[in-house]
This record gives sequence, C-alpha cells and structure tokens, in this order.
Amino acid sequence: MLALITLAAGETATKTEAGGSFLVKPGIGLMVWTLLIFGTSMAVLYKLAFPAIAEALDKRQKAIDDAIASADRSKAESEALLAEYRERLKEARAQADEIVSKARKSGDEVERHAAEVGQARRDELIEQAKKDIEGETRRAIGEIRNEVASLTVAATEKVTRKTLTAEDQKRLVEDALGELDFSSLGERSN
Amino acid sequence: MTTKRKVGLGLGIYVGVIAIFLAIFGSGQKNDVYKPQNEFKLDAWFSIGPFDFTKATMYVLIAAILMCVTMVYVARRMQQRPNRVQTLVEVAFSLMRDNITKANMSSTEAAKWFPFVGALFLFIWFSNMLGYIPLPTNSEEKINVFGAHIPSFALYAATANLSIPLSLSLLVWIIYNAVGIKRKGPKGYILSFIPAGVPGFLTPFILGLELMSNFMRLISLSVRLFANILAGHLIILFMGGALVVLLGVEALGIVTFPLAVALFMFEVALVATLQAFIFATLTAIYLGGATADHH
Repeated sequence: MLALITLAAGETATKTEAGGSFLVKPGIGLMVWTLLIFGTSMAVLYKLAFPAIAEALDKRQKAIDDAIASADRSKAESEALLAEYRERLKEARAQADEIVSKARKSGDEVERHAAEVGQARRDELIEQAKKDIEGETRRAIGEIRNEVASLTVAATEKVTRKTLTAEDQKRLVEDALGELDFSSLGERSN
Repeated sequence: MTTKRKVGLGLGIYVGVIAIFLAIFGSGQKNDVYKPQNEFKLDAWFSIGPFDFTKATMYVLIAAILMCVTMVYVARRMQQRPNRVQTLVEVAFSLMRDNITKANMSSTEAAKWFPFVGALFLFIWFSNMLGYIPLPTNSEEKINVFGAHIPSFALYAATANLSIPLSLSLLVWIIYNAVGIKRKGPKGYILSFIPAGVPGFLTPFILGLELMSNFMRLISLSVRLFANILAGHLIILFMGGALVVLLGVEALGIVTFPLAVALFMFEVALVATLQAFIFATLTAIYLGGATADHH
C-alpha cells in the first residue's frame, strides 16, 4: 500500500515537479529514517525516561495521599483531644465551683467560729478586767483608809498638842472614815 | 478620547505610513526567480545505502535528540518539589498518560500502550516546535561570512514533509489493525467494524463504508498533521517576506510583517501542540477501539 501511495505520488510528481510537487511526494528514505529514529527514541524514553518520571509522580501522589491521610488522622486526634479537653474543662469547672462552694462554707464556718471565740475571749477579758478593777479599787480604798487614818491622827495630834491614846485614835479614824463616801468608787469599779 | 476614535486614529496612522512607504519605495517588478516552495525542497546531503540524509532527516534527528535529552535529563533529576521545567514535563506526562492514553482505553491496555502514544506525542511536538526555531539550513540561499558560505537561517519543520507524518501514521495504522486482528481474529476484527443494531441487508454496505473509513484514517492522520504544519510555515513565510519579494512591493511589508509575527505566535502557542495532541489522541482512540471488546 505504501508503495502504491509512493508510486501514485511519484507519477504526479514527475508531471509537476517544477511547481513544488516534492512537498507531497513521500520519500521512502526519509520514512525509513523517521521510523528508525522514532523507534530508537521511543526505546530510550521507554527505558530511561518514562519509568523514572512515572515513579516520581507515583511517589509524590503517594506522599500526598499519606499527607492527606495523616492530616485526617491528626484532625481526628485533635478533635478527640479537644472533646476530651472540653470534658475535662467542664469537670474542672464543676470541681472548681464545688471547691469554691466548700471554701465559702468553710470560710463562713471559720468566721462564725472565730466570732464565737472572739466573743468568749472578750467576755473573759472583760470579766478579768472587772475583777482586776474591783481588786485594785479595794486595795486603793484600803490605802486611802490607812492614809486618812494617819492624817487624821497626825492632824488631831497637831491640833490638840497631845498624844492620842489608842482608843481615841480608833474613834477619830472611824469618825473620819464615816464622813468619807466610797460608794462612787465602788460604783465606778463596777 | 473614546476607544472608537483611538482605534480609528491608529488605523489612519497605519494606512498613512503604508502610503508614505509606497510613495518612497514605489512598486517594483515581479520576481519570477524566487520560488518560495524551494524553502521546503530536500537535497540529499549524503546517502547511507539507498537512504538519503536530507535536511528533514537532520530535523527529525535533532528533534529526537532534544526529546530524549530533555526527558532523560528531567527524569534523572526528578525532585519532590519540581522546578519550572520539571513541572512542564510532568504536565506533559500527565496529559499523555491520563488524558490521551487512559481516557481512550482500559487501564491495562493504557499501561501497555502509553510508551508508544507518549513517544508519538513528544516526537511530533518536538518536531513541530523545532520548526519554529530559525536554523542555518537553507542551502538555496547562503551567507558569506569572511569567505565562508554559510546556509542562511530558515524556518523548516520536518512534519511539513508528508513522508514523516505518513510514516508515523502508517506505523499507527499497521499496529492498531494488527492488534485488533490478534485480539479478535481476522473475521472477528472485520465484523467488529459493523456497528450494533445495523439491519442485516445493510451490513455489507456499512461494512464497506467502515473498512473504507478505516483506510481513510491513514490518510487523514498523516495529511492533517502535514497540511497544518506546512500551511502554517507557508503563511509565515509569505507574510514574513516572500510576498514582498514575489510582488516587488516593499511597502507591503508594513502590512504583512506584523501578521507574520502574530501568525508565528499563534502557530507556536497553539498549532504545534494541538496537532501533536490530535495525532496522539487519535492513535489512542484507534488502539482503544481495536483492543476493546465491542465496537
């Protein structure tokens, strides 16, 4: 068939060679050269180029697939972690609320207890102070009595220019003390 | 100024420049010596046995070497993060493997036939693209450089010669028919041309049409590639200067040269790749049809 085409084209070519018929005239030599060169270059590509390119593309495709799968796994893990974190956060908040509530209750209890203790201590101190004041008052009254007695005797002896007997001294002191009013001191000490 | 007025002004200036050039250079005489078709003429440089080594052989050889070197170079330096050249090769590889081969036959057949279809695509693409690089291959016109007569630079595509697309088409035609016959048997293969549902009395007529259509594939496959590339080169040649030389109207260059540049860009950007894609896709379709269980 090729020979037929060539022959047909060749016949036409002899008639119109000058008009450029060589443009459509197939040349067996060039066709053989073409097939030879094409066959060789196809063998080179088949052996040296296509497998390497296909392998690299497949490797990259696999890497992309792995990366996508890994990203999906990471996303799922992240979501699980987030859910767990949220759950824990919720629990932690509940615990915190409970702790705060307990602390508040405890604080109230401590405050109440402290107030009671404070009140008791205050009462105790007040009672002690009262006792101390009363004791001091009594001691002061005693001292005043003694002082009044001494002063009364001394003043009387100076006025009368005589030494008083024990019986006179006793009478004078009792009179002087009888005139003194210690009730205000007693009330104040109370 | 409105766009309409700007376009009008631009066209006016363009026509004015042509008129000025026409007035300056005038109209010369027609050139009967220059033969544009000789740009595609093949002279035997040397012969190996009965086979002449011509300009077209050299272009095919250069295209094949460029193809092998580029693909092997990139294949041996494949990186996980590709550079621009690797990206381009990967895009071409995916196009050949997935869009051209796998899309037209089963996965098993695609794995088997991809090297052939891919090599065809790349071989035609490199041949087409090489045709748009000016190379010193015009043995008709020579440049004198310090006494050395060097062939002038020319645009020539190997695929603009019928022999090359025809040889590849013939290879494809023989292979897919042989595969079909091997897979289904001679009778089964011929019967597989009859579409399902054809009434019995129409069968011989349809079978005849289908067999003729099958034979025409050989011609359409080769002529489509050859005619497209030849037409592209011829029109670039004429617009780039051949028309000016033939008619002897130098001012015409003002009109034709920008067109030549535009057509050149169109051919490089679209036609070269598109024709390689069509050839490879049709090959895959024919192979897919021959290996498929049903027509």
